[in-house]
Amino acid sequence: MQFSYEVKDSYAEVKSVGRLNMVAAPKLREVVNEVVAGGSSRVVVNLAETDFMDSSGLGALIGCLKATRQAGGDLRISGVQPQVKMVLELTNMDRVLTAYPSAEEAFGDD
Amino acid sequence: MVSSSPVRHAVVVEDDADIRGLLVLVLEQLDFVVTEAPDGLSGVEAVRNTNAELVTLDVNLPDIDGMEVCRRLREFSDAYILMLTARADEIDRLNGLDIGADDYINKPFSPKELQARIRALFRRARTSAAAADDTGQTDELARAAVVQQSLLPRETVRLEGYDVAGAFRPTRSVGGDFYDWYQTRNGMHLTFADAMGKGMGAALIAATVRAVMRSVADTPAIDAAFGSASTTIASDLDQSGSFATMFHARLDAPSGKLSYIDAGHGLALHIPAEGAAQRLVSAGPPVGILDGQHWAAAELQLEPGDSLVIVSDGVLDAHASLEDFIRNVEKAARSEGTSDGVCAALLELAPAATAEDDVTAVVVHRKPDIGR
Repeated sequence: MQFSYEVKDSYAEVKSVGRLNMVAAPKLREVVNEVVAGGSSRVVVNLAETDFMDSSGLGALIGCLKATRQAGGDLRISGVQPQVKMVLELTNMDRVLTAYPSAEEAFGDD
Repeated sequence: MVSSSPVRHAVVVEDDADIRGLLVLVLEQLDFVVTEAPDGLSGVEAVRNTNAELVTLDVNLPDIDGMEVCRRLREFSDAYILMLTARADEIDRLNGLDIGADDYINKPFSPKELQARIRALFRRARTSAAAADDTGQTDELARAAVVQQSLLPRETVRLEGYDVAGAFRPTRSVGGDFYDWYQTRNGMHLTFADAMGKGMGAALIAATVRAVMRSVADTPAIDAAFGSASTTIASDLDQSGSFATMFHARLDAPSGKLSYIDAGHGLALHIPAEGAAQRLVSAGPPVGILDGQHWAAAELQLEPGDSLVIVSDGVLDAHASLEDFIRNVEKAARSEGTSDGVCAALLELAPAATAEDDVTAVVVHRKPDIGR
Protein backbone atom coordinates (compact mmCIF):
# COMPACT_ATOMS: atom_id res chain seq x y z
CA MET A 1 0.00 0.00 0.00
CA GLN A 2 1.29 3.39 -0.98
CA PHE A 3 0.09 6.94 -0.75
CA SER A 4 1.37 9.96 -2.58
CA TYR A 5 -0.06 13.42 -2.90
CA GLU A 6 0.06 16.40 -5.15
CA VAL A 7 -1.20 19.88 -4.29
CA LYS A 8 -3.13 21.38 -7.20
CA ASP A 9 -4.66 24.85 -7.68
CA SER A 10 -7.89 24.43 -5.76
CA TYR A 11 -7.44 21.03 -4.07
CA ALA A 12 -4.94 18.37 -3.14
CA GLU A 13 -5.04 14.89 -4.64
CA VAL A 14 -4.04 11.89 -2.53
CA LYS A 15 -3.42 8.75 -4.54
CA SER A 16 -4.09 5.45 -2.85
CA VAL A 17 -2.50 2.38 -4.43
CA GLY A 18 -3.25 -1.12 -3.17
CA ARG A 19 -5.46 -2.55 -0.43
CA LEU A 20 -6.95 -0.06 2.00
CA ASN A 21 -7.05 -2.25 5.13
CA MET A 22 -6.00 -2.03 8.77
CA VAL A 23 -2.33 -1.83 7.80
CA ALA A 24 -2.84 1.00 5.32
CA ALA A 25 -5.53 2.93 7.22
CA PRO A 26 -3.24 4.76 9.69
CA LYS A 27 -0.91 5.74 6.82
CA LEU A 28 -3.78 7.32 4.91
CA ARG A 29 -4.72 9.34 7.97
CA GLU A 30 -1.11 10.47 8.34
CA VAL A 31 -0.86 11.59 4.74
CA VAL A 32 -4.17 13.47 4.77
CA ASN A 33 -3.32 15.12 8.09
CA GLU A 34 -0.04 16.25 6.57
CA VAL A 35 -1.86 17.66 3.54
CA VAL A 36 -4.37 19.50 5.74
CA ALA A 37 -1.61 20.81 8.00
CA GLY A 38 0.10 22.10 4.86
CA GLY A 39 -2.91 24.31 4.17
CA SER A 40 -4.99 22.22 1.73
CA SER A 41 -8.31 21.31 3.30
CA ARG A 42 -10.00 20.38 0.02
CA VAL A 43 -8.80 16.85 -0.56
CA VAL A 44 -9.61 14.21 -3.16
CA VAL A 45 -8.62 10.66 -2.39
CA ASN A 46 -8.09 8.95 -5.72
CA LEU A 47 -9.04 5.30 -5.31
CA ALA A 48 -8.62 4.24 -8.93
CA GLU A 49 -5.89 1.79 -7.96
CA THR A 50 -7.48 0.55 -4.75
CA ASP A 51 -9.47 -2.60 -5.41
CA PHE A 52 -10.13 -3.55 -1.77
CA MET A 53 -11.23 -1.64 1.30
CA ASP A 54 -12.35 -3.02 4.68
CA SER A 55 -13.97 -1.32 7.66
CA SER A 56 -10.60 0.01 8.88
CA GLY A 57 -10.09 1.65 5.51
CA LEU A 58 -13.60 3.09 5.64
CA GLY A 59 -12.81 4.35 9.14
CA ALA A 60 -9.71 6.11 7.84
CA LEU A 61 -11.74 7.83 5.11
CA ILE A 62 -14.29 9.01 7.70
CA GLY A 63 -11.51 10.26 9.97
CA CYS A 64 -9.99 12.15 7.04
CA LEU A 65 -13.41 13.56 6.09
CA LYS A 66 -13.82 14.91 9.62
CA ALA A 67 -10.30 16.37 9.60
CA THR A 68 -10.83 18.25 6.32
CA ARG A 69 -14.26 19.56 7.38
CA GLN A 70 -12.84 20.78 10.68
CA ALA A 71 -10.29 22.73 8.67
CA GLY A 72 -13.12 24.28 6.64
CA GLY A 73 -12.73 22.04 3.61
CA ASP A 74 -14.09 18.71 2.41
CA LEU A 75 -12.96 15.26 1.40
CA ARG A 76 -14.17 13.62 -1.78
CA ILE A 77 -13.28 10.40 -3.49
CA SER A 78 -12.74 9.45 -7.09
CA GLY A 79 -12.15 6.42 -9.28
CA VAL A 80 -14.10 4.11 -6.96
CA GLN A 81 -13.68 0.41 -7.87
CA PRO A 82 -16.46 -2.21 -7.50
CA GLN A 83 -15.52 -3.69 -4.12
CA VAL A 84 -15.02 -0.26 -2.55
CA LYS A 85 -18.34 0.88 -4.06
CA MET A 86 -20.02 -2.15 -2.51
CA VAL A 87 -18.67 -1.37 0.96
CA LEU A 88 -19.78 2.26 0.64
CA GLU A 89 -23.27 1.23 -0.45
CA LEU A 90 -23.75 -1.46 2.19
CA THR A 91 -22.85 0.93 4.98
CA ASN A 92 -24.88 3.74 3.40
CA MET A 93 -21.73 5.80 3.34
CA ASP A 94 -22.20 6.61 -0.34
CA ARG A 95 -24.59 9.32 0.88
CA VAL A 96 -21.83 10.88 2.98
CA LEU A 97 -18.75 10.33 0.85
CA THR A 98 -19.54 11.50 -2.65
CA ALA A 99 -17.79 9.61 -5.42
CA TYR A 100 -16.63 11.32 -8.62
CA PRO A 101 -15.37 9.71 -11.80
CA SER A 102 -12.04 11.52 -11.64
CA ALA A 103 -10.01 13.65 -9.24
CA GLU A 104 -10.35 16.66 -11.58
CA GLU A 105 -14.14 16.49 -11.44
CA ALA A 106 -14.35 16.13 -7.66
CA PHE A 107 -14.03 19.85 -6.97
CA GLY A 108 -14.88 20.86 -10.53
CA ASP A 109 -18.28 22.37 -9.68
CA ASP A 110 -17.13 24.73 -6.93
CA MET B 1 3.71 -23.04 36.56
CA VAL B 2 4.50 -23.48 40.25
CA SER B 3 2.01 -21.93 42.57
CA SER B 4 3.75 -19.79 45.20
CA SER B 5 1.09 -20.26 47.86
CA PRO B 6 -1.94 -22.51 48.11
CA VAL B 7 -3.95 -19.73 49.79
CA ARG B 8 -5.04 -16.84 47.60
CA HIS B 9 -6.03 -13.60 49.29
CA ALA B 10 -8.45 -11.05 47.90
CA VAL B 11 -9.56 -7.66 49.16
CA VAL B 12 -12.98 -6.15 48.48
CA VAL B 13 -12.96 -2.34 48.68
CA GLU B 14 -16.59 -1.24 48.61
CA ASP B 15 -18.60 1.14 50.79
CA ASP B 16 -22.03 -0.38 50.12
CA ALA B 17 -22.45 -3.20 52.63
CA ASP B 18 -24.85 -5.20 50.45
CA ILE B 19 -22.64 -5.14 47.38
CA ARG B 20 -19.62 -5.85 49.57
CA GLY B 21 -21.32 -8.93 50.96
CA LEU B 22 -22.17 -10.14 47.47
CA LEU B 23 -18.61 -9.62 46.27
CA VAL B 24 -17.25 -11.56 49.24
CA LEU B 25 -19.56 -14.47 48.42
CA VAL B 26 -18.57 -14.44 44.78
CA LEU B 27 -14.86 -14.46 45.60
CA GLU B 28 -15.19 -17.13 48.27
CA GLN B 29 -16.81 -19.37 45.69
CA LEU B 30 -13.56 -19.00 43.75
CA ASP B 31 -11.64 -20.13 46.89
CA PHE B 32 -10.22 -16.76 47.81
CA VAL B 33 -9.66 -15.79 51.45
CA VAL B 34 -11.42 -12.42 51.45
CA THR B 35 -10.79 -9.28 53.49
CA GLU B 36 -13.40 -6.51 53.43
CA ALA B 37 -12.66 -2.80 53.38
CA PRO B 38 -15.43 -0.17 53.53
CA ASP B 39 -13.22 2.70 52.35
CA GLY B 40 -10.09 3.43 50.32
CA LEU B 41 -7.48 3.88 53.03
CA SER B 42 -8.38 0.71 54.91
CA GLY B 43 -8.41 -1.05 51.53
CA VAL B 44 -4.81 -0.07 50.82
CA GLU B 45 -3.81 -1.29 54.28
CA ALA B 46 -5.65 -4.59 53.82
CA VAL B 47 -3.83 -5.27 50.55
CA ARG B 48 -0.52 -4.46 52.22
CA ASN B 49 -1.23 -6.75 55.19
CA THR B 50 -2.56 -9.76 53.29
CA ASN B 51 -0.36 -9.51 50.20
CA ALA B 52 -3.55 -10.00 48.20
CA GLU B 53 -3.47 -11.27 44.64
CA LEU B 54 -6.83 -9.77 43.69
CA VAL B 55 -8.58 -6.50 44.55
CA THR B 56 -12.08 -5.48 43.58
CA LEU B 57 -12.29 -1.74 43.79
CA ASP B 58 -15.31 0.56 43.72
CA VAL B 59 -14.68 3.84 41.88
CA ASN B 60 -16.71 5.95 44.31
CA LEU B 61 -15.56 5.62 47.92
CA PRO B 62 -16.20 7.85 50.95
CA ASP B 63 -12.59 8.91 51.56
CA ILE B 64 -10.15 8.66 48.64
CA ASP B 65 -11.59 7.57 45.29
CA GLY B 66 -10.91 4.31 43.48
CA MET B 67 -8.43 5.91 41.09
CA GLU B 68 -6.32 7.15 43.99
CA VAL B 69 -6.51 3.75 45.70
CA CYS B 70 -5.33 2.17 42.48
CA ARG B 71 -2.34 4.51 42.21
CA ARG B 72 -1.33 3.85 45.80
CA LEU B 73 -1.66 0.08 45.40
CA ARG B 74 0.54 0.14 42.33
CA GLU B 75 3.40 1.54 44.44
CA PHE B 76 3.82 -1.78 46.19
CA SER B 77 1.42 -4.39 44.80
CA ASP B 78 1.03 -6.24 41.52
CA ALA B 79 -2.34 -7.67 42.54
CA TYR B 80 -5.00 -7.91 39.84
CA ILE B 81 -7.22 -4.89 40.24
CA LEU B 82 -10.78 -5.14 38.97
CA MET B 83 -12.58 -1.81 39.08
CA LEU B 84 -16.34 -1.55 39.49
CA THR B 85 -18.09 1.41 37.98
CA ALA B 86 -21.73 2.39 38.02
CA ARG B 87 -21.57 3.97 34.57
CA ALA B 88 -20.63 2.30 31.31
CA ASP B 89 -19.22 5.52 29.85
CA GLU B 90 -16.76 5.75 32.73
CA ILE B 91 -14.81 2.78 31.41
CA ASP B 92 -13.36 4.75 28.50
CA ARG B 93 -12.34 7.58 30.76
CA LEU B 94 -10.79 5.28 33.34
CA ASN B 95 -8.89 3.43 30.67
CA GLY B 96 -7.62 6.69 29.26
CA LEU B 97 -6.19 7.64 32.64
CA ASP B 98 -4.09 4.48 32.62
CA ILE B 99 -4.19 4.15 36.37
CA GLY B 100 -3.08 0.54 36.41
CA ALA B 101 -6.31 -1.39 36.79
CA ASP B 102 -6.51 -4.74 35.02
CA ASP B 103 -10.17 -4.86 34.12
CA TYR B 104 -13.40 -2.94 34.56
CA ILE B 105 -16.90 -4.14 35.23
CA ASN B 106 -20.20 -2.30 35.34
CA LYS B 107 -22.61 -2.28 38.23
CA PRO B 108 -25.01 -3.95 38.45
CA PHE B 109 -22.92 -6.97 37.54
CA SER B 110 -23.91 -10.60 37.45
CA PRO B 111 -21.93 -12.84 39.83
CA LYS B 112 -21.29 -15.23 36.98
CA GLU B 113 -19.87 -12.51 34.80
CA LEU B 114 -17.62 -11.33 37.61
CA GLN B 115 -16.32 -14.84 38.20
CA ALA B 116 -15.69 -15.29 34.49
CA ARG B 117 -13.70 -12.04 34.40
CA ILE B 118 -11.62 -13.06 37.40
CA ARG B 119 -10.89 -16.47 35.95
CA ALA B 120 -9.88 -14.77 32.72
CA LEU B 121 -7.49 -12.47 34.59
CA PHE B 122 -5.72 -15.39 36.24
CA ARG B 123 -5.76 -17.45 33.06
CA ARG B 124 -4.08 -14.59 31.26
CA ALA B 125 -1.36 -14.54 33.89
CA ARG B 126 -0.56 -18.15 33.09
CA THR B 127 -0.49 -17.46 29.38
CA SER B 128 1.85 -14.53 29.64
CA ALA B 129 4.10 -16.37 32.08
CA ALA B 130 4.40 -19.12 29.49
CA ALA B 131 5.49 -16.61 26.88
CA ALA B 132 8.33 -14.95 28.72
CA ASP B 133 9.20 -12.68 25.81
CA ASP B 134 5.73 -11.18 25.80
CA THR B 135 5.79 -7.62 24.63
CA GLY B 136 3.59 -4.90 26.03
CA GLN B 137 1.60 -4.93 22.82
CA THR B 138 0.54 -8.56 23.03
CA ASP B 139 -0.39 -8.03 26.66
CA GLU B 140 -2.61 -5.15 25.61
CA LEU B 141 -4.14 -7.33 22.92
CA ALA B 142 -4.75 -10.13 25.40
CA ARG B 143 -6.62 -7.67 27.57
CA ALA B 144 -8.62 -6.40 24.63
CA ALA B 145 -9.51 -9.98 23.74
CA VAL B 146 -10.76 -10.54 27.28
CA VAL B 147 -12.96 -7.45 27.06
CA GLN B 148 -14.31 -8.48 23.66
CA GLN B 149 -15.00 -12.05 24.74
CA SER B 150 -16.81 -10.80 27.84
CA LEU B 151 -19.34 -8.93 25.67
CA LEU B 152 -20.89 -12.03 24.15
CA PRO B 153 -24.10 -13.22 25.78
CA ARG B 154 -23.71 -16.12 28.16
CA GLU B 155 -27.38 -16.96 28.29
CA THR B 156 -28.87 -18.93 25.43
CA VAL B 157 -32.19 -17.82 24.02
CA ARG B 158 -34.86 -20.49 24.29
CA LEU B 159 -37.98 -19.49 22.43
CA GLU B 160 -40.65 -21.97 21.58
CA GLY B 161 -40.66 -22.58 17.85
CA TYR B 162 -37.27 -20.93 17.28
CA ASP B 163 -33.65 -21.99 17.07
CA VAL B 164 -31.31 -19.09 17.86
CA ALA B 165 -27.51 -19.29 17.72
CA GLY B 166 -24.46 -17.07 17.43
CA ALA B 167 -20.78 -17.64 16.77
CA PHE B 168 -17.72 -15.46 16.97
CA ARG B 169 -14.12 -15.94 15.92
CA PRO B 170 -11.72 -13.18 16.92
CA THR B 171 -8.62 -12.22 15.00
CA ARG B 172 -5.29 -11.98 16.71
CA SER B 173 -5.45 -8.21 16.45
CA VAL B 174 -8.91 -8.01 18.15
CA GLY B 175 -11.63 -6.07 16.37
CA GLY B 176 -14.84 -4.47 17.52
CA ASP B 177 -17.38 -7.15 16.58
CA PHE B 178 -19.90 -8.37 19.09
CA TYR B 179 -23.48 -9.54 19.38
CA ASP B 180 -25.79 -9.49 22.34
CA TRP B 181 -29.25 -10.82 23.00
CA TYR B 182 -31.70 -11.40 25.79
CA GLN B 183 -35.16 -12.83 26.11
CA THR B 184 -38.15 -10.60 26.69
CA ARG B 185 -41.70 -11.37 27.70
CA ASN B 186 -42.80 -12.01 24.12
CA GLY B 187 -39.58 -12.85 22.37
CA MET B 188 -36.10 -11.41 22.24
CA HIS B 189 -33.95 -8.36 21.58
CA LEU B 190 -30.82 -8.67 19.51
CA THR B 191 -27.93 -6.29 18.88
CA PHE B 192 -25.19 -6.94 16.37
CA ALA B 193 -22.45 -4.33 16.06
CA ASP B 194 -18.99 -3.70 14.74
CA ALA B 195 -17.00 -0.85 16.23
CA MET B 196 -14.39 0.46 13.85
CA GLY B 197 -10.79 -0.15 14.79
CA LYS B 198 -8.68 -2.77 16.48
CA GLY B 199 -7.41 -3.61 19.92
CA MET B 200 -8.50 -2.16 23.23
CA GLY B 201 -10.03 0.97 21.69
CA ALA B 202 -12.47 -1.04 19.58
CA ALA B 203 -13.23 -3.47 22.40
CA LEU B 204 -14.09 -0.64 24.78
CA ILE B 205 -16.33 1.07 22.24
CA ALA B 206 -18.07 -2.25 21.72
CA ALA B 207 -18.50 -2.54 25.51
CA THR B 208 -20.11 0.89 25.61
CA VAL B 209 -22.44 0.08 22.72
CA ARG B 210 -23.54 -3.11 24.43
CA ALA B 211 -24.20 -1.43 27.78
CA VAL B 212 -26.09 1.49 26.23
CA MET B 213 -28.26 -0.79 24.08
CA ARG B 214 -29.12 -2.86 27.15
CA SER B 215 -30.06 0.30 29.03
CA VAL B 216 -32.89 1.05 26.55
CA ALA B 217 -34.36 -2.47 26.69
CA ASP B 218 -37.46 -1.22 28.49
CA THR B 219 -38.24 1.59 26.05
CA PRO B 220 -41.34 0.25 24.29
CA ALA B 221 -40.82 1.63 20.76
CA ILE B 222 -37.76 0.39 18.92
CA ASP B 223 -37.08 3.67 17.10
CA ALA B 224 -37.32 5.70 20.31
CA ALA B 225 -35.01 3.18 22.03
CA PHE B 226 -32.49 3.25 19.21
CA GLY B 227 -32.70 7.02 18.86
CA SER B 228 -31.86 7.66 22.47
CA ALA B 229 -29.16 4.96 22.57
CA SER B 230 -27.50 6.16 19.38
CA THR B 231 -27.28 9.72 20.69
CA THR B 232 -25.39 8.49 23.74
CA ILE B 233 -23.18 6.21 21.70
CA ALA B 234 -22.47 8.91 19.11
CA SER B 235 -21.17 11.33 21.72
CA ASP B 236 -18.76 8.66 22.99
CA LEU B 237 -17.72 7.77 19.47
CA ASP B 238 -17.09 11.38 18.64
CA GLN B 239 -14.55 11.67 21.43
CA SER B 240 -12.66 8.67 20.16
CA GLY B 241 -13.02 9.57 16.47
CA SER B 242 -14.64 6.23 15.72
CA PHE B 243 -17.93 4.82 14.48
CA ALA B 244 -19.96 1.65 14.81
CA THR B 245 -22.20 -0.21 12.39
CA MET B 246 -25.22 -1.59 14.21
CA PHE B 247 -28.15 -3.88 13.64
CA HIS B 248 -30.79 -3.97 16.34
CA ALA B 249 -33.90 -6.13 16.24
CA ARG B 250 -36.85 -7.04 18.40
CA LEU B 251 -38.75 -10.22 17.79
CA ASP B 252 -42.32 -10.95 18.79
CA ALA B 253 -42.01 -14.72 18.85
CA PRO B 254 -45.65 -15.87 18.64
CA SER B 255 -46.38 -13.80 15.52
CA GLY B 256 -42.92 -13.88 13.95
CA LYS B 257 -42.96 -10.09 13.61
CA LEU B 258 -39.45 -8.69 13.65
CA SER B 259 -38.83 -4.93 13.97
CA TYR B 260 -35.31 -3.85 13.14
CA ILE B 261 -33.06 -0.87 12.60
CA ASP B 262 -29.95 -1.12 10.49
CA ALA B 263 -27.38 1.65 10.94
CA GLY B 264 -24.79 1.12 8.25
CA HIS B 265 -24.43 -2.59 8.86
CA GLY B 266 -26.15 -3.86 5.73
CA LEU B 267 -25.27 -7.52 6.23
CA ALA B 268 -28.52 -8.94 7.57
CA LEU B 269 -30.38 -11.34 5.30
CA HIS B 270 -33.85 -12.78 5.30
CA ILE B 271 -33.75 -16.38 4.06
CA PRO B 272 -37.36 -17.41 3.47
CA ALA B 273 -38.38 -21.06 3.60
CA GLU B 274 -39.18 -20.72 -0.07
CA GLY B 275 -37.93 -18.06 -2.43
CA ALA B 276 -34.78 -16.00 -2.81
CA ALA B 277 -32.71 -14.53 0.01
CA GLN B 278 -33.22 -10.81 0.57
CA ARG B 279 -30.70 -8.44 2.06
CA LEU B 280 -32.29 -6.10 4.59
CA VAL B 281 -31.54 -2.58 3.44
CA SER B 282 -29.75 -0.23 5.79
CA ALA B 283 -31.68 2.79 7.08
CA GLY B 284 -28.68 5.11 7.21
CA PRO B 285 -24.95 5.41 7.83
CA PRO B 286 -23.19 3.94 10.88
CA VAL B 287 -23.57 5.57 14.30
CA GLY B 288 -21.01 8.29 15.02
CA ILE B 289 -20.60 9.73 11.52
CA LEU B 290 -23.12 12.54 11.28
CA ASP B 291 -24.81 14.55 14.02
CA GLY B 292 -28.56 14.42 14.41
CA GLN B 293 -28.97 11.28 12.35
CA HIS B 294 -32.26 9.38 12.46
CA TRP B 295 -32.67 5.75 11.52
CA ALA B 296 -36.10 4.49 10.54
CA ALA B 297 -37.33 1.18 11.86
CA ALA B 298 -38.50 -1.48 9.41
CA GLU B 299 -40.42 -4.70 9.78
CA LEU B 300 -39.97 -8.23 8.60
CA GLN B 301 -42.32 -11.17 8.92
CA LEU B 302 -40.53 -14.39 9.88
CA GLU B 303 -42.74 -17.23 8.67
CA PRO B 304 -42.27 -20.82 9.81
CA GLY B 305 -39.14 -22.17 8.09
CA ASP B 306 -37.64 -18.67 7.59
CA SER B 307 -34.31 -17.52 8.95
CA LEU B 308 -32.76 -14.17 9.78
CA VAL B 309 -28.99 -14.30 9.26
CA ILE B 310 -26.61 -11.53 10.29
CA VAL B 311 -22.89 -11.66 9.65
CA SER B 312 -19.99 -9.25 10.11
CA ASP B 313 -17.96 -7.68 7.33
CA GLY B 314 -15.25 -10.27 7.84
CA VAL B 315 -17.50 -12.65 5.89
CA LEU B 316 -18.20 -10.08 3.18
CA ASP B 317 -14.48 -9.31 2.77
CA ALA B 318 -13.85 -12.91 1.77
CA HIS B 319 -16.08 -12.49 -1.30
CA ALA B 320 -15.43 -10.81 -4.62
CA SER B 321 -18.97 -9.49 -5.06
CA LEU B 322 -22.17 -8.93 -3.16
CA GLU B 323 -23.91 -11.56 -5.32
CA ASP B 324 -21.30 -14.20 -4.40
CA PHE B 325 -21.63 -13.25 -0.78
CA ILE B 326 -25.43 -13.54 -0.73
CA ARG B 327 -25.34 -16.81 -2.66
CA ASN B 328 -22.86 -18.38 -0.22
CA VAL B 329 -24.66 -17.12 2.89
CA GLU B 330 -27.93 -18.50 1.57
CA LYS B 331 -26.30 -21.83 0.77
CA ALA B 332 -24.82 -22.05 4.27
CA ALA B 333 -28.15 -21.11 5.83
CA ARG B 334 -30.00 -23.85 3.97
CA SER B 335 -27.35 -26.56 4.31
CA GLU B 336 -27.19 -27.41 7.99
CA GLY B 337 -29.71 -28.80 10.43
CA THR B 338 -29.38 -26.52 13.43
CA SER B 339 -28.68 -22.81 13.80
CA ASP B 340 -25.39 -23.71 15.51
CA GLY B 341 -24.45 -25.68 12.42
CA VAL B 342 -25.41 -22.77 10.17
CA CYS B 343 -23.27 -20.39 12.24
CA ALA B 344 -20.29 -22.72 11.93
CA ALA B 345 -20.80 -22.91 8.17
CA LEU B 346 -21.04 -19.10 7.98
CA LEU B 347 -17.73 -18.66 9.81
CA GLU B 348 -16.18 -21.10 7.35
CA LEU B 349 -17.01 -18.65 4.54
CA ALA B 350 -14.15 -16.52 5.87
CA PRO B 351 -11.36 -19.07 6.37
CA ALA B 352 -9.38 -18.39 9.54
CA ALA B 353 -6.07 -18.60 7.68
CA THR B 354 -6.84 -15.62 5.45
CA ALA B 355 -9.34 -13.55 7.45
CA GLU B 356 -8.01 -10.14 8.51
CA ASP B 357 -11.00 -9.23 10.62
CA ASP B 358 -13.17 -10.79 13.32
CA VAL B 359 -15.90 -12.99 11.97
CA THR B 360 -19.31 -13.09 13.64
CA ALA B 361 -22.62 -14.70 12.73
CA VAL B 362 -26.07 -14.83 14.32
CA VAL B 363 -28.97 -16.96 13.11
CA VAL B 364 -32.61 -16.67 14.20
CA HIS B 365 -34.51 -19.56 12.65
CA ARG B 366 -38.24 -20.04 12.99
CA LYS B 367 -38.87 -23.74 12.90
CA PRO B 368 -41.26 -25.06 10.26
CA ASP B 369 -44.76 -25.99 11.39
CA ILE B 370 -44.97 -29.74 11.48
CA GLY B 371 -48.14 -31.80 11.40
CA ARG B 372 -50.63 -28.98 11.21
